[in-house]
Amino acid sequence: MKVQIGPITRLEGHLSINTTVENNIITNAQSVGEMFRGFEIILRGRDPLDAQQITQRICGVCPYAHAIASSYAQENAFGIKTPPNGRIMHNLIQGANHLYDYLLHFYQLSALDFIDVTAILKYSGSDHKLTALRDWVKAELASGRPFPAAPFLPRLSGKYLADTDLNIGALKHYMEALEIQKKANRASAIFGGKFPHSTAIFPGGCTQNPNIDHISSYRSLIFDVKEFIHQKYIPDILAVAQAFPEYWKIGRSQGGFLSYGLLPFGPEPDSARLFAPGVILNGQSEAVNFEAIKEDVKYSRYSSPSGLKVRDGALTPAPHKESAYSWIKAPRYNGHMVEVGAGARVLVDYTQGHNPTIKKLVNKYAKIAGIGVDGLNSVFGRHLCRAISAVVIADFLLAETERLDPKAPGMAIYELPESGEGFGATEASRGALLHYIRVKNYKIDRYECVVPTTWNCSPMDDKDQPGALESALIGTRVENPAEQIEANRIIHSFDPCLACAVH
Amino acid sequence: MPDLDRRKFLKLALCLSSAFGISNLPESVQAALREIDAAAIPTLVYLHGQSCTGCSISLLQADDPNAVTMITEYSKLAFHTDLSATSGKQALSLIEEYFSGRAGKYFLAVEGAVPYDMPEACVIGNKTFADHLMAAAKTMEGAVAIGTCASYGGIPAAEGNPTGAVSIKEFYKRQGLKPLIINIPGCSVHPDWVWKTVIHLVRLGLPDLVNGQPKLFFERKIHNQCPRYHDFQQEIFAKNLGDKGCLFKLGCVGPDTYADCSTRWWNSRQDWCIGANAPCIGCASRLFASKKDFSFYRHRKG
Repeated sequence: MKVQIGPITRLEGHLSINTTVENNIITNAQSVGEMFRGFEIILRGRDPLDAQQITQRICGVCPYAHAIASSYAQENAFGIKTPPNGRIMHNLIQGANHLYDYLLHFYQLSALDFIDVTAILKYSGSDHKLTALRDWVKAELASGRPFPAAPFLPRLSGKYLADTDLNIGALKHYMEALEIQKKANRASAIFGGKFPHSTAIFPGGCTQNPNIDHISSYRSLIFDVKEFIHQKYIPDILAVAQAFPEYWKIGRSQGGFLSYGLLPFGPEPDSARLFAPGVILNGQSEAVNFEAIKEDVKYSRYSSPSGLKVRDGALTPAPHKESAYSWIKAPRYNGHMVEVGAGARVLVDYTQGHNPTIKKLVNKYAKIAGIGVDGLNSVFGRHLCRAISAVVIADFLLAETERLDPKAPGMAIYELPESGEGFGATEASRGALLHYIRVKNYKIDRYECVVPTTWNCSPMDDKDQPGALESALIGTRVENPAEQIEANRIIHSFDPCLACAVH
Repeated sequence: MPDLDRRKFLKLALCLSSAFGISNLPESVQAALREIDAAAIPTLVYLHGQSCTGCSISLLQADDPNAVTMITEYSKLAFHTDLSATSGKQALSLIEEYFSGRAGKYFLAVEGAVPYDMPEACVIGNKTFADHLMAAAKTMEGAVAIGTCASYGGIPAAEGNPTGAVSIKEFYKRQGLKPLIINIPGCSVHPDWVWKTVIHLVRLGLPDLVNGQPKLFFERKIHNQCPRYHDFQQEIFAKNLGDKGCLFKLGCVGPDTYADCSTRWWNSRQDWCIGANAPCIGCASRLFASKKDFSFYRHRKG
């Protein structure tokens, strides 16, 4: 039978999934992106320096990744030499954004798939935040009003965590995480001006003049975030995973993995990065070639040609196209479907043996969880890879602050040339993000974005190969085909961002 | 309906208080205005149109009160796509209960623009976003347009956009409707601008509006309260991006933007754009990003 399980909540934007379920097994899944704005069209004819501002508005959850990718693209296009402080501030802003995003993703977007909110009614301790929450839920349930305790209830049917203490602890951390994510965002605002949507990020650096006031505040905030990551975030992931061990196997995507690498160690465009770039096809890691990426649109709502390279990208919306079922395009790497995101980022680095800390952490937690490295391609594998990323990034950011020189400039001084073209690639929290800019007569002639969720939630390509999420859903057993909490858990593990995917 | 009478009474008291000040009211009425009246707590049904979710994320950055307090004590957040446990058909039927009028009074909160010329460009469940807005129009007490996209169209409505995006006020206007709409612009919106408007609704009723925006936050221009106003007067202008001083010559549109960023600041009052030497790009303005030729920055070209 055919069941549409959208709109899927607890993710960014407008995603629906059309499933076919036979004997409680999902036999087909169509990922449907339901919102389109046309950023690449809107950008044409604008001043290039508008781009790192406008493209942040593609996504208010990970805006800085777009600002950084756009800045890299413009630096490449115009040959801008970014001073070391400028690159460090880019990193400090972008890295703190990853930390906030991982916490938000686990506690606010994913935890309610597993945690039993009603366990709070059994709370008998004296923590005032928990007693307040308990009394609120109790009063709501007794109020006789429709939809008591929204937005935490109602919820999908299914098995939730049984351990009362674990549930209550996770709920406490749900509330604490909301406070801690603010600290990560305050840290990035020190250099970026504000969050979301920083106005201080530019090609060539950042307009803030870093001083000891900024640096000490930033470090203190990141220390608090780091402590939460180690003391609460990682233990909570492992505890929830222990109660649902089957999710180390469920939600396996069936293609390769792609990462552009994250957080450069130096100002030059080709500086080594904290996380290595690479693409894994058939188990082998290779260097990334942007020319190998093509976007198919057979099942996407566009009448522009299919299979175009990024630099040749075109976008003619066709909302009534017969064969199409999504606004998302289907990017493919040399024709291969790949998964992007924290899982891919960690797997690419691990496969190359690039960052020894990542290798150590993967081995440590794989052992605790009783999985092989292969198990990272799963629902909890993706959660674990976010946590590993968080640990590595937090330490990097603290070290990076030591490299800021308060006496040196943070911005390159430049004049923009009449024309140029360039790619800019980084890792958003959700994965591989590529921007391409071409400038003619001082204006943007073409702008293309190939965004993480474009890869992960893509529809089928021209050869009818499913996208990464689609492939991870197919074959999943669902207890209640009408609701499919199991599918929701898989979808959330990818942390989809639909505003990014379609843009 | 004693609750309704109480609300009407408090609204009347509010009118009096705005005319004569709260201290002239009897003590019992003052107390009633100060406490949270359960019947006055607004139910919010929060929908995303052509949005980036930046405003929702900004709402989570709130302090004093924080987001948890706001959705448990000052409002009932019946539905929000990023926070709701419910999903799929269950979520759609919840929304339908409110829009049909069966679940009681509510305010519609909207983040994002409406693709007027291409309704298929925004769909929630099996309905276009536009159809959801039409259903809500029959039953909602009013709507809060959260952020510049919902208030004025924002970037989805920028020059050359392919979907014919418009604000929710413009969308309803084209349908011949004039519901109560409070516009709270900002790209993204500041959490205080939204949450303190909700608190105003709870404690004092509708806030005073100026140009359809809460006067409390949008009465004055950024430039007029800017800590660098002195630099402007002394003609100490930043020449290059990254310089201190008044940022006007780099393109700062603080002189033309109504918002209280220069006194409120952002992210727990940590910083704000001009504090990081970044020119204001007028993200809370009606015409934010609307014209291709009106670029954000004045900078040197080759």
